[in-house]
Amino acid sequence: MKVTLERAELVKALAHVHRVVERRNTIPILANVLIRATKNGLELKATDLDLEIVETIPAEVKQASATTVPAHMFYDIVRKLPEGAQVELQSGSDKSALQVRAGRSRFTLQALPETDFPDLAAGELPHKFKVVAADLKRLVDKTQFAISTEETRYYLNGIYLHAVDEKNARLRAVATDGHRLAQAELPLPKGASGMPGVIVPRKTVAEIQRLIEDAGEEVEIELSPAKIRFSLGSVVLTSKLIDGTFPDYGRVIPTGNDKTLIVDKSDFAAAVDRVSTVSSERGRAVKLSLTSGKLTLSVTNPDSGSATEELEVDYGSEALDIGFNSRYLLDITNQLEGDKARLKLADPGSPTLLEDSEKSGTLYVLMPMRV
Amino acid sequence: MPVRQLSEILINRIAAGEVVERPASAVKELVENALDAGARRIEVVLSGGGSRLIRITDDGAGMSPADLSLAVERHATSKLADENLESIATLGFRGEALPSIGAVARLTIVTRMKGADSAWEILVEGGKKHPVKPAALGEGTRVEVRDLFFATPARMKFMKTERAETQAAIEAVRRLALSRPDVAFTIVAEDRAPVTYAARTDDNEGRLARMADVLGGELRENAVAVQGEREGVGVTGLAGLPTFSKANSLSQYLFVNGRPVRDKVLIGAVRAAYADLLHGDRHPVVALFIRIDPREVDVNVHPAKTEVRFRDPGLIRGLLIRALKDALGEGSMRSSSTGADRLVAFARRHVGGARAGSTWRGSAAPAFAPGFAEETQQAFDALASPSTDARANVVPVAAELLDRPLGAARAQLHETYIVAQTRDGLILVDQHAAHERIVYEKLKAALDRDGIRRQILLVPAVVELDANDAANLVERADDLAKLGLVIEAFGGSAVLVREVPAMLGETDAASLIRDLADHLAEWDASLPLERRLLAVASSMSCHGSVRAGRRLKPEEMNALLREMEATENAGQCNHGRPTYVELKLEDIEKLFGRR
Repeated sequence: MKVTLERAELVKALAHVHRVVERRNTIPILANVLIRATKNGLELKATDLDLEIVETIPAEVKQASATTVPAHMFYDIVRKLPEGAQVELQSGSDKSALQVRAGRSRFTLQALPETDFPDLAAGELPHKFKVVAADLKRLVDKTQFAISTEETRYYLNGIYLHAVDEKNARLRAVATDGHRLAQAELPLPKGASGMPGVIVPRKTVAEIQRLIEDAGEEVEIELSPAKIRFSLGSVVLTSKLIDGTFPDYGRVIPTGNDKTLIVDKSDFAAAVDRVSTVSSERGRAVKLSLTSGKLTLSVTNPDSGSATEELEVDYGSEALDIGFNSRYLLDITNQLEGDKARLKLADPGSPTLLEDSEKSGTLYVLMPMRV
Repeated sequence: MPVRQLSEILINRIAAGEVVERPASAVKELVENALDAGARRIEVVLSGGGSRLIRITDDGAGMSPADLSLAVERHATSKLADENLESIATLGFRGEALPSIGAVARLTIVTRMKGADSAWEILVEGGKKHPVKPAALGEGTRVEVRDLFFATPARMKFMKTERAETQAAIEAVRRLALSRPDVAFTIVAEDRAPVTYAARTDDNEGRLARMADVLGGELRENAVAVQGEREGVGVTGLAGLPTFSKANSLSQYLFVNGRPVRDKVLIGAVRAAYADLLHGDRHPVVALFIRIDPREVDVNVHPAKTEVRFRDPGLIRGLLIRALKDALGEGSMRSSSTGADRLVAFARRHVGGARAGSTWRGSAAPAFAPGFAEETQQAFDALASPSTDARANVVPVAAELLDRPLGAARAQLHETYIVAQTRDGLILVDQHAAHERIVYEKLKAALDRDGIRRQILLVPAVVELDANDAANLVERADDLAKLGLVIEAFGGSAVLVREVPAMLGETDAASLIRDLADHLAEWDASLPLERRLLAVASSMSCHGSVRAGRRLKPEEMNALLREMEATENAGQCNHGRPTYVELKLEDIEKLFGRR
C-alpha cells in the first residue's frame, strides 16, 4: 500500500473510529484498526465485535491494499504530527509492518493481516429510513440517562426504538432502569412503518451522540431484527442489537394521576439541589410536601442535620407528602425544555408523571421513595 | 584450677549432646544404622515420647560378639571400609551414635549375624559398658534405648511434651521412609494407631507410591513430577502446585543420596523456583531426591548430618530451579484440585440449615437496616415481572472446544467470571487474574529476550559492606549485570554501584546491595533483585489486563481460555491464588449429595 493524505483528515477519522477499540484485549487484532486503500480513498475500520465503525476519507492512493495496526498508538502518532502535515502510509509486500511518514518523522508499526480482522457481517437490513441528525440526537439525549446498567436485566441496557402506528404515527425511543422511565418521539419517518422494535445498546447510543456533529445533515438508518446501521456522511456505524424483549412499558405510564403541580423548572431544580446537600450518599431522598399553592422541600439526615425550602407553586389539589431520589429528580428536570415543569401525582406509592408544559413529545415517569 | 584430662564417660556425654539432641535424633541415628546394615524391614517402637523407650528392630546383617563389643566404643564403625572420607556411600560414618546414646541412656543391643547360630546382647548404662552375653533373637538386630538422658538430667529439662517428641521422632522416620521405598517401615507409638509402610519397588513408581503412603494422597493429586539431570547430578521427585501451598516450610522433604537434609542451598533454590508463583509468606510442598557422586558432596559438616556442602553449589541450584520451573510450567494447566474440594465443602456448609430463617422470595426493593433510617427507592411493579423472553445471556456451545482443557466459554457472570464447559465438568475463571498472569508471562518473556534496561547513575553509590560480602558480590557481578545492576569493587570492603535497572525507578541502591549481600549466604544472591523486578512487572501486568467489570464477548472469552492453555503457570495469579477452579461432574454430584 502507498497512500498520501492530509493529517487533519486522518486525525478526525481516527478520533471517530479509535474510540470503539478497547484498551485491553484478549484477542490481539481487536486492538487494531483496519486500513484499506481503494480508489475511493482510505477506509478506516474498528470493531469491538458488537459495534463497528467505518469511515472513508479522501486520499491519494498510489497503490491499493489493506492492513491493520494498533489503533490507539496509530491515533496518538497522527495526533502528535504537526498541523498541516502530509502523511504518507506505506507497507511492503509482506505487510508485516506499516510505515508512517510525515516531514522528517518516521514510524514503523507492527501490522496484523487484514484477513484476520473480524467482520460484523450485517446481512440483509430490510428497513430503511432517514432522520434529520438533530432529531435523532434529541431522541437519544432525552432518554439515554435512564438506561439501566444492571447486567441481569440486559434487555434494559439500551434504548428501545420502535414505531407507534396509531392515528398519528411516531418513531418512539424509550429507556428505563426500573425506577424511572424516559420517552421521546418524532413523527414517523417515511419507510419506518413496519419496522421491528429494537433495543440499541448503550455503547452504540453513546457513539451516535458523539458522531453527530452537523445537526442539519440527514442520517440514514437501516435495520433488521438483529442489527442496525447508521450512516452519517462518511461514517458508517453498524451495531448488534440487544437480543431480548423490551417490557410492556405502557403499563408503567400512569393515566389517572389527577393532582397537577406546575412549578418553575429552574427554581425547582436549584431548590432540590440545595436541600439535598445535607443528605448522605445513600438514598438521597427529598420530601415534597404539597399544600394549596405551596411546596415545601425537605431533607433529613440523621447523621448530619436537615434542610427545608419553600416554593410558591401552582397546586390546587389536596395536601400530599411524597419523596423522590433527588438525583433522579435533577436528571429529569435537566431534560425538560420549557420554563415550567408539570408533575402529575397520584399518591406517595405510585408513579409520578413529569412533562414539559409545552407539547414536546417527551414524558418521564418516576417512582417515589418511601419517606 | 588445675587443668585435667576429662574422663572417658564425660567426654562421651559431651559428644552425645551434639549427636543426640532429643529422642528424634536417636531414632534417626538408629534407623540409619539399620538401613546401613541392609535391613528390609524396620520396626520402630516409641514410648513416652521416646524418652522412656525407643526400640528399633531390623532384619539386617547383624554383628558378631566381638563387633558388638567394639560397636559401643567411640569412633568405632564398620562403615568406612577404606578409610576414605571423600566418598561416603552410607548414611552414617562417624562411629558416634551408639556410644553417645550409651553415654546418656540405658542401651541394650541384641544381635544375631546372618547364618550364625546364636544371638548376643550387650548393655551400656550411662556410659558404663557391661560384658557381652548370649541372648535369643532371630536374624538381625534389636536396639533398645531406655530412660534417655537419665545420665544428663540437664538435657531432660529441655524436652518438649511427650506428644511433640513423639511427633518429631515419627517425622524423622517418615523422612527416612521417603528415601527408601524398598524397605518396609512400621511405627508403633503410644496413643496412636501403628502405621506400616509396605515395601515398594526401588524405582520411580515405587517412590511415588511411597510418597503417597507417607505424605497422603492429596499431594499426589496436587503435585507434578520433577525430573532433571545436569553434569551427572540428577533430581527426581514431586513439586506441589503453587495453589497447594502451606504456611510453613515443614512440608519440604529434601534428600541428597537418600540422606534427609535441610540445606540452605536447596531450600534457597526451591524458594527461587517458586518466587513469582507464591506470595512471600506461603511455602511450597516438595519432595526432591538428589543423586550426586558422593565425592561431589561433603556430608561431614555437622554431627547430625542435616547439612551438606556441595563442591559446586551453583550447579545444584541451577539444576533444581530449572527442573522445578519446567515441571511447574508443564503442570500449569492444572489448578489445585483442592480448590474444587474447598468449594464443595464451603457450599455444603451454606446450604440447608443455615438459611432456615430466610425465605426464597426476595423483596422487590433492597431493604435497609432500620437503624440507618434510610428510605427505599420503589420500582415499577409492571417491570418487576420478568420479560417474556427471559433468556440468560448464554453462548451456544462450540462442540469442538469441549475437548480442550479449559473447555468452551458458556457465559460471563457479574462481568468478572467466565463459566466454561468441558466434557466432564465446568470451569470458573476469574477473568482479571487470568489475563493478568498472561500479560505478566509475556512481560517476563520480553525481559528475557530484550534484557533489562539500565539507568546509569549520575553519582555512583558507594555501599560499605564487610570485606567478605563485598568480595562475594563482586564475584557475581556478571550475573547481576544481566539483571541490570552494574557494580564493581571499591576498596576492600565496599562496592560501587554504577548502573541500576531502569524499571525500578528511583531505588535505594544501598539497601538493595545489602539485601543482596544478606542473601549471598544462602546462595541466593540475585533473588532480592529478581523479586523487585518481578514486582514491577506484576504491577505493570495488573494495569495492562482486562479488569473485572468488563463485559467480554464469547469470542474474547474463548480467546482468553485458549491463551491460558498456552501460557506457563496460567493456573495461578502472581500471588499464587488460583485463576480458575475446575468442578468435575463428580464434584457437582457431591454437592448435591448424589455421591
